[in-house]
Amino acid sequence: MSWLSRLANVFRPSGVDRAVDDEMNFHIECRIAELVAGGMTRDRAEATTRRQFGNRLRLREESRDVKLLPWLDSLVRDARLGVRMLRKNGLVTAAAIVSLSLALGACMAAFSLVDALILRPLPVREPGRLIYLTFPSANPDRPEDDVFSDPAFVRLRDAGRGRIDLFAIGYPSKPRVTFDEASGNRETIRAQYVSGDAFEHLGVAPAFGRLLTMQDDQRNPAHPVAVLSHRFWMQRFGGDHGILGRWVVVHGPKEDRQFQIIGVTEPRFNGVEPGYSTDVWLPYALQDPYAFGNSGYRTLRVFGRANEGVALEQAGGVLQAAFTKFRREDAADNFGPNTPPDRVEHFINAPLYLRSAATGPSAVRARFQRSLWILTGIAALMLLIAGSNGANLFLARIAARGDEMSLRLSLGAGRGRLIQQMLIESAIVAVAACLIGATFAMFAAPAVVSMLRSADDPVLLDLRVDWRFVAFISAMTLLSSALLGLAPAWRASSVEPVTAVKAAGGRTSVRARAMHPFVVMQVAFSLVVLFIGGLLVHSFAKLTSVNPGFAASDVLLVSWEGVQRMEWNQQRAALLQVLDHLREVPGVAAVSAAEDTVLSRVRYNVAVPGTARDTIEATMAAVAPGFFETMRIPLLAGRTFVRNDLDIERPTVVVVNDSFAKRYFGGESAVGRQFVGRIAGSPSHEVIGVVADARYDLRLPPAPTIYVLVPIRSLGTLHVRVAGDATAIASRLREEVQAATPLFRVTSVTPLIAMVDRTLVRERLLALLSGFFALVGLVLTTVGLYGVLSYAVVQRTREIGIRVALGARASAAVRSVLTDTAITTLIGAACGIAGGLWASRFVETMLYEVAAFDVSSLALPLGTLLLAASVAAAVPAWRAASVDPVIALRNE
Amino acid sequence: MPTRPDTLQGSLPLLVLTVLSRRGPLHGYAITSHIHGLSDALRVEEGSLYPSLHRMEEAGWIKARTIMTEHNRRARAYKITAAGRRQLGIEEARWRSVTDAVDYVLKHA
Repeated sequence: MSWLSRLANVFRPSGVDRAVDDEMNFHIECRIAELVAGGMTRDRAEATTRRQFGNRLRLREESRDVKLLPWLDSLVRDARLGVRMLRKNGLVTAAAIVSLSLALGACMAAFSLVDALILRPLPVREPGRLIYLTFPSANPDRPEDDVFSDPAFVRLRDAGRGRIDLFAIGYPSKPRVTFDEASGNRETIRAQYVSGDAFEHLGVAPAFGRLLTMQDDQRNPAHPVAVLSHRFWMQRFGGDHGILGRWVVVHGPKEDRQFQIIGVTEPRFNGVEPGYSTDVWLPYALQDPYAFGNSGYRTLRVFGRANEGVALEQAGGVLQAAFTKFRREDAADNFGPNTPPDRVEHFINAPLYLRSAATGPSAVRARFQRSLWILTGIAALMLLIAGSNGANLFLARIAARGDEMSLRLSLGAGRGRLIQQMLIESAIVAVAACLIGATFAMFAAPAVVSMLRSADDPVLLDLRVDWRFVAFISAMTLLSSALLGLAPAWRASSVEPVTAVKAAGGRTSVRARAMHPFVVMQVAFSLVVLFIGGLLVHSFAKLTSVNPGFAASDVLLVSWEGVQRMEWNQQRAALLQVLDHLREVPGVAAVSAAEDTVLSRVRYNVAVPGTARDTIEATMAAVAPGFFETMRIPLLAGRTFVRNDLDIERPTVVVVNDSFAKRYFGGESAVGRQFVGRIAGSPSHEVIGVVADARYDLRLPPAPTIYVLVPIRSLGTLHVRVAGDATAIASRLREEVQAATPLFRVTSVTPLIAMVDRTLVRERLLALLSGFFALVGLVLTTVGLYGVLSYAVVQRTREIGIRVALGARASAAVRSVLTDTAITTLIGAACGIAGGLWASRFVETMLYEVAAFDVSSLALPLGTLLLAASVAAAVPAWRAASVDPVIALRNE
Repeated sequence: MPTRPDTLQGSLPLLVLTVLSRRGPLHGYAITSHIHGLSDALRVEEGSLYPSLHRMEEAGWIKARTIMTEHNRRARAYKITAAGRRQLGIEEARWRSVTDAVDYVLKHA
């Protein structure tokens, strides 16, 4: 009992203590009053009373133990009995725990992802008061744009002064840098240019050294400095404090710059963008000088914190006025003289939004938010399916334990005790499932993150176990034990003591009917998951079979860089040398280059001449000669780029795709026509050829596209088509490039097919996980149905036996068992279809050429579910049909 | 020599149940006052009444109810239950058998 006593101290309900105290106080006051009335002084009366009363503290403990210990004792006993009963039904228990832990694990993994990416506040001072600025964008994928130019930021910051402190945090860039000049090794880091006061306004402290200040943020500082993030410092330098004072060289497109490392941020701060971790922060004033005063060069996000006592609306009003004024002046540069005035007005009057940056703006979030919520929803449905499955198993067990319960009731156990017993058993299962599920989640969540990750986009999420996660787990444990235990507990409360005496079998206490609500739930929810999963899988299958318009297999993408600064004609010569050399390498079928990759485009709007309003939302790609041949994009008319086209610094010839030719030139032949628009520094262009459409995004129809010659300054990526073993050639490419020219070196080699797959990472993730859960849900539902039906058959064996003995056909017996369940299943299916159609609105935008309201979309999951239900029903039905009346009756 | 409280431990439930069965619902202080009023020899450490009351309450022999006293104070009044009356019979019988046995030894030893 002594350990229980100690446990009691832990629980110590303050209510019990207070009640005991009140009672004793009352006694003491009465006694004092009596003694005082008898003529004693108050002081003496108090002393006497205290002496007579004894040690109050000890008495109170004693009373509390009297009240708590029996309860705790009963809990321990019930838990012991519970574990014994659960072990007796090992298979049932294991099934409940496994299915529940899978569902719980999915929920927890989803929570830790959602928390890391969407819910958790930034690790800065008063994150709730931090804002960032956005404005409406024309891009339907991202309704709000948050990228500002330097002049816009400067104007806004000056306008807000005194009301709101605005500061800039550059969009992440990935420069090549050298930390160790002796070795000259270059590496890619994730850098951000930030205002000198950014850290101060964010409220971030250094782990050691110091952070940037306004003194550092000057155009021509005597002493350019840089700050490292804690994570990068640990990863790259292993937490070496000697890093302070060392220099880093940032290789820019035009020049190299040196920065001295002055500090490391505190461990919890690794940037303001969940999903993206910054390595190095550099002063805003030291970014590409081209940015300053150039409103067309948008590179930064604007953050802010309203001053004490200034309402956000007030600050917003001032900023809006400055923004509109800025845009009015900027409009002249942005639009040609022929632009329709309403478009210009629309641009000028664009609203400026002050959005909360409490959780930080995040491109990763914008991209994956919806997918994550969908998966969270599916995980929640899985929990309901697994929970109702478990509840049914428990209900069936109660039926089997009717004897035990009736007996306990007859012997004087309170109904409360029976309910407690049921709840404890469900809690044991729930806690076990939660622990397994949490372990599962700790592996599953990082696995999901790694699915989102790629070499060029290292999605970094801080999936930590903190109080939020623990709180969520606890809530989940409570919820699932309630889900499992409440129905059985309610059933247990209605067990009759007499039934145990009356019917020796004593199993009429729970009818199969009690399980029907759970069957409906299970069928409905698993149909929803099947339906949604089916839509996502189907859509993904369609996407993977889309013809991109180029042959993606057997192409290697080779990134490379110059080892020193070169004149453009020197670079061109080197590029041609490399292309010529690689073409001769055995196993290389074709080779070309593009500024970025075949999957990247720059958005570009072109007005069609002769029409005032029609603008084409075109895309643009810069490619080298031989590109279309290498990518196997068919030529439809004219010619493609040749080597001689590279001979001038700013070539004016372009190739367009079929969509562009049709939109811009109508039905007429495009070859030889002039085309107006500022691209690559030249105002007008001659179309020399038309190629077939190729997609850069498998989800989108091919866009009208203009191909220009690759600007020699940015050499981009080599596209190498190989014949034969790609991996063998991949390893040789480095040396071959080195052999062709000493001026370049290869930084990475990636198969194009991996890049293409990468564009569908979101869809693949959704299809994979939702498909998996749809299957699990189906299995659970099948098992659940089987359990309920088997139970119904066992329960009615005697009745069936009598009927058959009286001459009823076996089929009638089967029908009587199946009808109920069939009706229940159909009700569940109807609910599931309704629920699925309603839920489909959340996935609609993720679907590609698949409609939710479509016969085939509905028929397949419904058919699968009904088939599974029939399979589940087959064995119990056969058992019911083969009941032998003699055996059935003799068993009674 | 004053009576040690522990000599009374065993008989406290008997006293309390007896008082409650004859005088109706009473709060703790009233119970003590009654016992003291009848016999000075039974003056116990007053506080020890309470754990005993709570133990009896937990056993279901008595039942507590919150009442308002004449001075408008909340107090817990205890009432004997049917189980308590049965227990009273048992305790009384046990007490008699013990005292009879002790008497017998005192007379005939």
